[in-house]
Amino acid sequence: MAAHLSYGRVNLNVLREAVRRELREFLDKCAGSKAIVWDENLTGPFGLIAQYSLLKEHEVEKMFTLKGSRLPAADVKNIIFFVRPRLELMDIIAENVLSEDRRGPARDFHILFVPRRSLLCEQRLKDLGVLGSFIHREEYSLDLIPFDGDLLSMESEGAFKECYLESDQTSLYHAAKGLMTLQALYGTIPQIFGKGECARQVANMMIRMKREFTGSQNSIFPVFDNLLLLDRNVDLLTPLATQLTYEGLIDEIYGIQNSYVKLPPEKFAPKKQGDGSKDLPTEAKKLQLNSAEELYAEIRDKNFNAVGSVLSKKAKVISAAFEERHNAKTVGEIKQFVSQLPHMQAARGSLANHTSIAELIKDVTTSEDFFDKLTVEQEFMSGVDTDKVNSYIEDCIAQKHPLIKVLRLICLQSVCNSGLKQKVLDYYKREILQTYGYEHLLTLHSLEKAGLLRPQPGGRNNYPTIRKTLRLWMDDVNEQRFGLLRALYWYRRCGSQC
Amino acid sequence: MDCYTANWNPLGDSAFYRKYELYSMDWDLKEELRDCLVAAAPYGGPIALLRNPWQKEKAASARPVLEIYSASGMPLASLLWKSGPVVSLGWSAEEELLCVQEDGVVLVYGLHGDFRRHFSMGNEVLQNRVLDARIFHTEFGSGVAILTGAHRFTLSANVGDLKLRRMPEVPGLQSAPSCWTALCQDRVAHILLAVGPDLYLLDHAACSAVTPPGLAPGVSSFLQMAVSFTYRHLALFTDTGYIWMGTASLKEKLCEFNCNIRAPPKQMVWCSRPRSKERAVVVAWERRLMVVGDAPESIQFVLDEDSYLVPELDGVRIFSRSTHEFLHEVPVASEEIFKIASMAPGALLLEAQKEYEKESQKADEYLREIQELGQLTQAVQQCIEAAGHEHRPDMQKSLLRAASFGKCFLDRFPPDSFVRMCQDLRVLNAIRDYHIGIPLTYSQYKQLTIQVLLDRLVLRRLYPLAIQICEYLRLPEVQGVSRILAHWACYKVQQKDVSDEDVARAINQKLGDTPGVSYSDIAARAYGCGRTELAIKLLEYEPRSGEQVPLLLKMKRSKLALSKAIESGDTDLVFTVLLHLKNELNLGDFFMTLRNQPMALSLYRQFCKHQELETLKDLYNQDDNHQELGSFHIRASYAEERIEGRVAALQTAADAFYKAKNEFAAKATEDQMRLLRLQRRLEDELGGQFLDLSLHDTVTTLILGGHNKRAEQLARDFRIPDKRLWWLKLTALADLEDWEELEKFSKSKKSPIGYLPFVEICMKQHNKYEAKKYASRVGPEQKVKALLLVGDVAQAADVAIERRNEAELSLVLSHCTGATDGATADKIQRARAQAQKK
Repeated sequence: MAAHLSYGRVNLNVLREAVRRELREFLDKCAGSKAIVWDENLTGPFGLIAQYSLLKEHEVEKMFTLKGSRLPAADVKNIIFFVRPRLELMDIIAENVLSEDRRGPARDFHILFVPRRSLLCEQRLKDLGVLGSFIHREEYSLDLIPFDGDLLSMESEGAFKECYLESDQTSLYHAAKGLMTLQALYGTIPQIFGKGECARQVANMMIRMKREFTGSQNSIFPVFDNLLLLDRNVDLLTPLATQLTYEGLIDEIYGIQNSYVKLPPEKFAPKKQGDGSKDLPTEAKKLQLNSAEELYAEIRDKNFNAVGSVLSKKAKVISAAFEERHNAKTVGEIKQFVSQLPHMQAARGSLANHTSIAELIKDVTTSEDFFDKLTVEQEFMSGVDTDKVNSYIEDCIAQKHPLIKVLRLICLQSVCNSGLKQKVLDYYKREILQTYGYEHLLTLHSLEKAGLLRPQPGGRNNYPTIRKTLRLWMDDVNEQRFGLLRALYWYRRCGSQC
Repeated sequence: MDCYTANWNPLGDSAFYRKYELYSMDWDLKEELRDCLVAAAPYGGPIALLRNPWQKEKAASARPVLEIYSASGMPLASLLWKSGPVVSLGWSAEEELLCVQEDGVVLVYGLHGDFRRHFSMGNEVLQNRVLDARIFHTEFGSGVAILTGAHRFTLSANVGDLKLRRMPEVPGLQSAPSCWTALCQDRVAHILLAVGPDLYLLDHAACSAVTPPGLAPGVSSFLQMAVSFTYRHLALFTDTGYIWMGTASLKEKLCEFNCNIRAPPKQMVWCSRPRSKERAVVVAWERRLMVVGDAPESIQFVLDEDSYLVPELDGVRIFSRSTHEFLHEVPVASEEIFKIASMAPGALLLEAQKEYEKESQKADEYLREIQELGQLTQAVQQCIEAAGHEHRPDMQKSLLRAASFGKCFLDRFPPDSFVRMCQDLRVLNAIRDYHIGIPLTYSQYKQLTIQVLLDRLVLRRLYPLAIQICEYLRLPEVQGVSRILAHWACYKVQQKDVSDEDVARAINQKLGDTPGVSYSDIAARAYGCGRTELAIKLLEYEPRSGEQVPLLLKMKRSKLALSKAIESGDTDLVFTVLLHLKNELNLGDFFMTLRNQPMALSLYRQFCKHQELETLKDLYNQDDNHQELGSFHIRASYAEERIEGRVAALQTAADAFYKAKNEFAAKATEDQMRLLRLQRRLEDELGGQFLDLSLHDTVTTLILGGHNKRAEQLARDFRIPDKRLWWLKLTALADLEDWEELEKFSKSKKSPIGYLPFVEICMKQHNKYEAKKYASRVGPEQKVKALLLVGDVAQAADVAIERRNEAELSLVLSHCTGATDGATADKIQRARAQAQKK
């Protein structure tokens, strides 16, 4: 079911199985039929480790979204709340429980905190007088979710914002916990490297936790040789620039959520003659993107310009494979051909999907505006005219392009210029306030607080020096091959959301 | 080896009993045992003596003295008894001494005479006094049964979880029963008592008369009864000197014996081995000890001294003033090997090994004999097993040597049984040493388990030995060494004469970072002893903040708890302490505490943001954080419904920004206020929706509504840059499709944004005609682009050729489609070729 997780050099299925087992154990603790009330933010991450079928096997009959007032009627013995430890959610739960108590037959309530049980929340439940209603109150440490054969994610989008805007290090704590779980399964990682303040804190917490857990030392031979911790803050540049790999562009344009992407349906309409445009699907097409799909694994990290040639090569291979049937003469040959059919059909389906996606993306990437934006980005990154007001950005504001695009470009310029001159900064800010509304005074303040946007201290720009000494810019990038960069790129979404 | 069986006494045909000395007692008892109340714990446990228990005088010298000794007679504790008269003593399964007083109060003492707790057996017992009491062991723990002066029984099956049960009355009982005992069957405790010739069984519901099957006639009274260690068997001694032995359920008789002694025995206990078919009872009188079983003859011993019997799982311990002996049935393996003229494989192997040591060829003969019978494996096993049952290390060694010798001739003999036996024996020999004084047999040791044995060593404060055993047996640290060290530390913190500093250092030195040691448990113990400072010092070493912090809070060290919680990085923990602190301190102090802890402060701010907005404001105010205060008021302004409220909030925000020296934000906020007022006016005058539009959108809306003058005015008032204004107008006018106005606008002055946008926007509205008008005005840089946009490929080619721009040439070329632009394409190719020639 999750075979793609075991393809990598480390079998991440071990982790997935471990978290699934934990979930099953919890569900079995609550005997009888169950309804789950979901914190909406959790459904996505949970989908990656347990499908509905698993829940169903453990007598989960109904699922609701956590909302105020009363729960929908359900004839079940147990009601389980799956929630993040947030106070505001506790208020809703209390409301649910109280209204349910008035309704009649007694139910068993349980609560599963993800990823951490919180004294604070329990205190709140106690204050609201419902703590006693819960039979099981447990935590489910879903910190690192296996995403792909070589990728784990905490799916915690607000992490950067929490760390740098609110000085709330909860997510660092969770990261450290997750890494401890990882070490419990895959052996203690002998070397830890890190860069940045938050990385240091995570490493410190890990060392601390190691002391706490020394009792349960495991003797598993370490699977990982090194751990490299990077604070997002060390490199604010990468997430600001436009991603140019295939996967990156899908994310830029349509947004990948928990490995799923929603695409406009028109391109995916079954091409049958006679149907006409009568029943074009109106619902967005939802596709899961991970390395389980052979084709996607091949092209996801390629520069988009290289994707086309791969797709056409694939198309030829597949059609050639289908042509084989004409050569199949003997019964044995036909049988062999038929046995390959499902695989070939899957490959054809996958090819069709990606060709459609590539077409969708191409519409965007060939547009002049996309080209202009890339040009400006590249100018900034190579240090051209970063200290003046950029006319493209001006034009974007004047034409009221999406604010996020404008902010990304301005922040990019700020980073590439080690901050903007006060005059330039104020000009941009004024333009944004006037065009997009004064409420963005807070947005801009947040960006400044997080260091994404800042006035240049002392009027010195050391970005060119850094760029040269660290060789940040490569002029002759081989567009066909990006490889490892994916993991780094992945976090860009966290960066762009504060 | 003939003499080895000298102390073996046959009972009937099949069983031998032997008695050997465990220790010569180290104690220096002044009085006879019979003058004391005696209690000895099973499994080689300690012995408690209460001297002068029946002294009524109050003279201090005659006060009873409670003494506790190890099984080898090493004194463990001695204390003057100051409480009421004691009726009975007994040891619980946890090796706690239970002293039942006449008034029904049970005092519980530790092994070292330390008072633990006390409990009462109820009012009824208090009123009627205790006549007799028994301590018995069940699978739940240890129970106490009491016979009161009113001849009623009260019992509790588990003193750890005290539930008193008053047993039903025995009808017509006028005097105390001649003998009684507590029975434990099917997890329920019963009382069996004898009154004259009758036996009664009391359970919690009823009293029933019972008769043992096959009891010899003529019994007028039962003098003594004994239940076996496992509650499976019962023995009754009658006034006719007759002994009945049967199952405790009284359903089956096993055997009987007539000893012809009518004097009541002092003690009667069972002596049988688990899984043995032999049943025997040891009966003791003043100077006589008798082992009787299913045989016409009994074994008799003479007792030189006053002795006391302690029933064990597999035998009986007998101690007196000078010695401590063990009497048991010889185990099968030993019997087979050592019985005179035995031909059992084990016996032959032992012989073979001895011959081998003498370098005699007979060794080979014996070995061959065993091998021919194919019994070598069995022989080795027998030797190993027998070694376990030997008390003397030299015998253990010679048997193990024989086993090891035999093993050499076997291909596949799993070594673990041998290795384990060697280890077990080493442990057993160590604890049997008279300094330690725990004379466990192999079977008892196996029954007790190593964990319990370690606990008992810990209880005796024999920490080094316990640790050595753990290390020797390579027990996992958490179960073994760490646990013992933790116990040691808990004991250490109770030593009040040592300073906090020293105790903490000593503990940390020994424990270090030993895995599985909970410093917080030790600290909790220290706190329990009233040593808060020590507890805090110990908590310093606790790595798990989840354990550390709650205890610190309990000890009212909230500020320390706060810094520990922060160190851990566990934000939930920090919150917990924060809320605790908030309730504990007044607001001012609370804020001051926060001030020194930036992380806590920011977490608390988050909390306030969601839960207590007003407090957030106070926080910012206190810190003079005007920037955040400004932001706070801006956010607040959006919650206001009425425009006046909003403006007021914004004014406060602007003031705050000025104070924060953030002129830009202050000006922007003032602009916002100005805009809000203006929008309000526009709504009043022009109708429509203006509020909360951005400035840009307000101007656009005005243009779309045809209010160009006002739009201009607004743009001037807010100093909208020319460029953006042009874009704005351009977009708005194109949206209106007001081409005339657009053209007028384009000619009003030179466009600051060039004319390409005009072309683009017209094409967007599909107005090629208008677009062409502007295409000609586009500057040379962008002309090609503009011409291509309006579809004039030929002219674009001309311009590109003229400009000799390679990129533009390619661009035009890519727009050349099919036959129509064939000529143009050729032209470009020619121009290129020419350019290259040059």
